[in-house]
Amino acid sequence: MRTPAMRTSAIAVLSVAALTLAGCGRPTETQPAAPQASTSIGAGPATGDLTIWAMGAEGEKLPDLLKDFETANPDVKITVTAIPWSAAHDKFTTAITAQKTPDLAMIGTTWMGEFAGLGALDPTPSSIDKAAFFPGAWGTTEVNGTSYGIPWYVETRLVYYRTDLAKKAGITTLPNDWDGLKAMAKAMQEKAGAKWGINLQPGGTGSWQTVMPFAWSNGAQLNNGDQWTFDTPEMAEAVQYYQSYFTDGISNKSPAPNSTVEPPFVDGSQPMFISGPWEMSAVEKVGGKGFADKYSVMPMPTKKTSSSFVGGSNFAVFKDSKNTDAAWKLVQWLAKPEVQVKWYQLSTDLPSVQSAWQDPALASDTKLATFGKQLQTAVAPPSFPTWEQVAAKFDTELEKVAKTGEDVKTALATVESEAQSIGTGS
Amino acid sequence: MAAPTVAPAGQLPLATPPAGIPSRRRRAHPGETRAAWTLAIPFTLLFAAFTVWPVLQSLFMSFTDTKEKDLRTPFAVNFIGLGNYARALGDPTFVKAAANTAYFVVVGVPLTLAVALLAAVALDKGITRLRAVYRLGFYTPVITSIVAVAVVWRFILQPDSGLANTVLGWFGIQGPNWLGEVQWAMPSLILMATWRNFGTGMIIFLAGLQSVPPSLQEAAAIDGANAWQRFWNITFPLLRPTLLFVSVTTAIGYLQFFEEPFVMTSGGPLNSTISLSMYTYNQFGYGNYGLAAAMSYLIFVVIAVVTALQFRLLRENT
Repeated sequence: MRTPAMRTSAIAVLSVAALTLAGCGRPTETQPAAPQASTSIGAGPATGDLTIWAMGAEGEKLPDLLKDFETANPDVKITVTAIPWSAAHDKFTTAITAQKTPDLAMIGTTWMGEFAGLGALDPTPSSIDKAAFFPGAWGTTEVNGTSYGIPWYVETRLVYYRTDLAKKAGITTLPNDWDGLKAMAKAMQEKAGAKWGINLQPGGTGSWQTVMPFAWSNGAQLNNGDQWTFDTPEMAEAVQYYQSYFTDGISNKSPAPNSTVEPPFVDGSQPMFISGPWEMSAVEKVGGKGFADKYSVMPMPTKKTSSSFVGGSNFAVFKDSKNTDAAWKLVQWLAKPEVQVKWYQLSTDLPSVQSAWQDPALASDTKLATFGKQLQTAVAPPSFPTWEQVAAKFDTELEKVAKTGEDVKTALATVESEAQSIGTGS
Repeated sequence: MAAPTVAPAGQLPLATPPAGIPSRRRRAHPGETRAAWTLAIPFTLLFAAFTVWPVLQSLFMSFTDTKEKDLRTPFAVNFIGLGNYARALGDPTFVKAAANTAYFVVVGVPLTLAVALLAAVALDKGITRLRAVYRLGFYTPVITSIVAVAVVWRFILQPDSGLANTVLGWFGIQGPNWLGEVQWAMPSLILMATWRNFGTGMIIFLAGLQSVPPSLQEAAAIDGANAWQRFWNITFPLLRPTLLFVSVTTAIGYLQFFEEPFVMTSGGPLNSTISLSMYTYNQFGYGNYGLAAAMSYLIFVVIAVVTALQFRLLRENT
């Protein structure tokens, strides 16, 4: 049975659909001029309201840090919203779409290309000195040559090893090249009773973070301009080296999913692994009292260079903010060496500002100092919005390489062709 | 059952109203119509805004090259026809995900149904003591959070020290690395999904079993039918509508399986447990909204076809 009302609504639906279809189609591309830094930071204290979004543990600890800023700038009123990491990306994209962004926010380094591409971020004023930061970390703020925000804190990857077991394995000098690292892992297995020499991730989500340090150290690059460059001899050599740990039986190629590195590190069955600074507190928690003396960290082994991966989070100001001046003042304050040290003490996040590392709180710890040294040469992946998608393809192929012994050249050719079809998104 | 289209001879045609009452329905007062529409407006608006519009928008999206950066201008995108659908079907990972989902459904649904029916029959006939305790026990996995369940199952399936391999070890069997090996990961997830979901089917089967008239059973028993014959020839045919319901709801749920690989394996090893829903979810995460919407509609079509097939195969014989 069809009533007139139903007919009317059917017509309404159809006309809405027709209108939407008629209205679609991309506007003709105009090459936008390179965005200019719109704000120079004024003198005088910050005033007005500022809303800040920050993720995870940082979001919870940030208000403590900002008390000092509020004391120095009594007319500013700051609201910090802590967001769980898992919900953050959606919340940001929704806010950007609805133009309801906070004034400034902590932003994961891999999101920079995407958010800057959406036109949401304010370019960094030139009065912020880029030379103060680690160059690799500063690179994560740059999208198409323009910098948005500052690196707030950083992390990099080092080789963790058990000092007591290394001694048992007869390692007297630490290896500083690829062959040396492999020999050390093998010695751990043969002489120190370890089940597996080194705990390496056999591909899968995030494994590129362990593979790329080897590739970067071998002179490989992920991209050349807006072309992906996976299928290169330098990359192949590094991936083959990584693969050899699994084919030689030094690393476990089928661990249980979601298995963690700490328990086998502590019980000595896998006395080496490659990871970031957070593992120091994690292994000491599992290892208990005195474990801090039973392990140490060393730089990534040198091939042509020793270049690890740099990650962390940035701090950026949103274009839609009504109070960009105060927002940039806060960002500038966050980049002060003494504030960076204070933040390290509050959160154990490593400073992105190089001069902060001279503070005794960081310089006196030999393990931390190794991280500081590695950060000077650490490299970040390109800030393309499609990077995570390309990285997932890379991780899938790395898994085949590690687990099924797939030919490295074939795998890299596959990654490259998939990456080209995904594009750089810019 | 013949549809009662023709009144049997000799019976009064009851459909004809008695004389004196107008056969036409009373014409609605114009004011009443207006009031009805006014009252319906809030619902209509909500329904249009939150149900019809998203469906239309996502359908529209599936025919365009919408990406994340188009969010601010959702209509300033190019219409690319069936391009996203072609791209999805040509994507080897999507095809792999489809094969995994088919494996999960083809093995998982019958297994879940069989276990649910077995548990229901046991509760109906076999277990007489502590029936409520068992019923609750079997149903508990359904209402337990998948996150908690995943932690426990990961412990059970640990290759070296897990419960499963320890028990197998007592019989001298070296258990596999359940979630870490390509050939065992999917069976492990099917087992876990069955354990987690059979409770729902069991409760519904139990209700179905209890509506089978005992007199039929008794009559058959007097005629000399044994327990198996009584079940197969009396109980089972009478359970057909229940079976259809449980089978359709389970299959729809399993075709969209997502949580198990998401929390247990992240789709690995080597994509052997990635499902259609999970792969689609990943594409949304990468901001490929057009492609992801097209994938969602492909899943929708598969669900519609599978459901229609089940209705055909399990409908009442006429």
